[in-house]
Amino acid sequence: MPAVYFLKLKTKMENNNLLQNTFLKQFNQSDSIAYDQKYISSPRDFNFQLLDNAYRNMGKVYAKIKIAIETNKCQSEYCSIELAQLKRLEEAPQSSLDFLSLLMSQLMITEEDNFDLNNDFRYKVANSLMNGRPGFSKTDGYNVSLTLLENGSQEIYFTGPAFMESVPDPYDSRFSIQLENPLIINSVSLQALIDSETMLIASTPAIDKEMDILLTEIGLFAQEMISEDGKLNSQAKISEEFILKNSDGSFDYEIIDLGDGKGKNILKFNMEKISQKINPFVNAEVEGLMSSEQMAVAAWNVYISKLTNDDSWSYEFDLPLQQDKKVLFQTKYKEYFMENYLKQFITNQAPIVEEDIAVFDLAQAKQADAQKFLDDNNLN
Amino acid sequence: MVGLTSAIIGGGASIIGGLIGGSAARKRAEDAAKETRRLKRKLSSLENSRQAIINPYAGASNLADLATDLSSRISNPMANLSVATKAAEMKVEQSDIALANTLDTIRATGGGAGGATALAQAALQAKQGVSASIEQQEKSNEDKRAAGEAQMEQAKLAEAKRQQGIQISEGQRMQGLDAAGKQFVFGQRENREMQELDRTASLLGASKAAAAQASADQTSALTGTISSLGGIAGGLFS
Repeated sequence: MPAVYFLKLKTKMENNNLLQNTFLKQFNQSDSIAYDQKYISSPRDFNFQLLDNAYRNMGKVYAKIKIAIETNKCQSEYCSIELAQLKRLEEAPQSSLDFLSLLMSQLMITEEDNFDLNNDFRYKVANSLMNGRPGFSKTDGYNVSLTLLENGSQEIYFTGPAFMESVPDPYDSRFSIQLENPLIINSVSLQALIDSETMLIASTPAIDKEMDILLTEIGLFAQEMISEDGKLNSQAKISEEFILKNSDGSFDYEIIDLGDGKGKNILKFNMEKISQKINPFVNAEVEGLMSSEQMAVAAWNVYISKLTNDDSWSYEFDLPLQQDKKVLFQTKYKEYFMENYLKQFITNQAPIVEEDIAVFDLAQAKQADAQKFLDDNNLN
Repeated sequence: MVGLTSAIIGGGASIIGGLIGGSAARKRAEDAAKETRRLKRKLSSLENSRQAIINPYAGASNLADLATDLSSRISNPMANLSVATKAAEMKVEQSDIALANTLDTIRATGGGAGGATALAQAALQAKQGVSASIEQQEKSNEDKRAAGEAQMEQAKLAEAKRQQGIQISEGQRMQGLDAAGKQFVFGQRENREMQELDRTASLLGASKAAAAQASADQTSALTGTISSLGGIAGGLFS
């Protein structure tokens, strides 16, 4: 596939997922449908009867096989095929329940507050459909069916307006035509995916909570600054060893001009030492996130790229993550942590020494500084 | 919700209720498993980035080599004592010259043979005295050499003992340091491992408890569906 086409395809899919998911999210949250007279005045049919339809003819099939076995009129030698079919049919209802339960547990991810809108939007539609959300009924053109396959696996099939794909009309490029793009999920494939610790839909890790915890782990704050709930208390301050000092042991302040000739001291921090201290902890956090690259992509798309104005990543085209992306993730994750979590503790921090807190006259302070320089260097 | 979803899925409200409860419980179990994997990997990274435990005694060296065996320098000062024969030789020469002079005098004065014989005997006695003196010196020297030899043996033995003492003392010191170092490393490693084990155990305990609870919820939710399902299957397959 040519690179340009690949890029266009990627961009098109990303945009489509983003647009569709955003629309669905807004649609579900807005309650706007409650004000749609056309909608509320007409009956809606949500009766998909998934299991009923799947097993509708199974009774007859079951009876036919059972009779064949009991009357010794099997097609196969020793009724081996018929016995296997019978076993599959007997196990099928439990398999259906397991499959639907697993599928619904995955579709629930689309309801998470921090759900990444770059996921395939069709899962969000499927979830709306399975939960009977307004706008996703049979009346609205949707359907879902379950099929028992010959190999014993089962298949769920979602169709409807959101499962259509617009492609250019091959006869007239000025127009486009709608093709069906159903969402089909096989029970065995889904189970295998979950067993290999991969999700059908990427769940976004709550990195805001993780970073709150990370703050207490990086070793910049004394133990007494951490409250019982494991978070930093409101009085938390970075330990003195990370604050810059003069050679005589006094604090090396930065002077802030408050206007009107007044100024105040604020602490200066040893950023190199802070960086060295927090690096292993940030790296470990990133390593933890990388236990699932799906999660890392979701964290990137929902949190990190937003702050750093980087492009979002595609699940389809960027997984598995290349080394350069992993490195980029680590760098930006740290930037995100520094900017959103650590910055508040290193910006405009008042002096620890009581006498140094007061607002002072800038001119006098400058004079005192000059005099101190002269004294220190024996220039009087 | 159960009513609506019941219509969507079909098969009765109890099945759907079980499905919904089971799905939620399954999701909680999956979330717990995911969190366990994340924390395990994070923990592993933290452990790997820790500084290695250093044995503070690792640089200690055995100083026994610095002690030099000085026994080669020990010698017997009495080994080569010389006998003072020069004086004896002079005495013999003088006695011979005196005898010759006396014999010349006797011949010149017409002395008899008896006088010459007496003189020769006197000269002989004088020479015998010289010989006895040399023997005496030689015996004295031999005694001194033997005494020196004994002293030298004592000194060499003392040096060997000193050397052995240093080797044993340094060996004991090194063994002590080695043991102390191993004990330190073991203590540190044990502390760390205990911390890690505690943390991992606590972590896994929490995750497993969450997963177990979720699994129990799932089983409980689905148990009710089995009998309902039996109804469906029975209905379909009868």
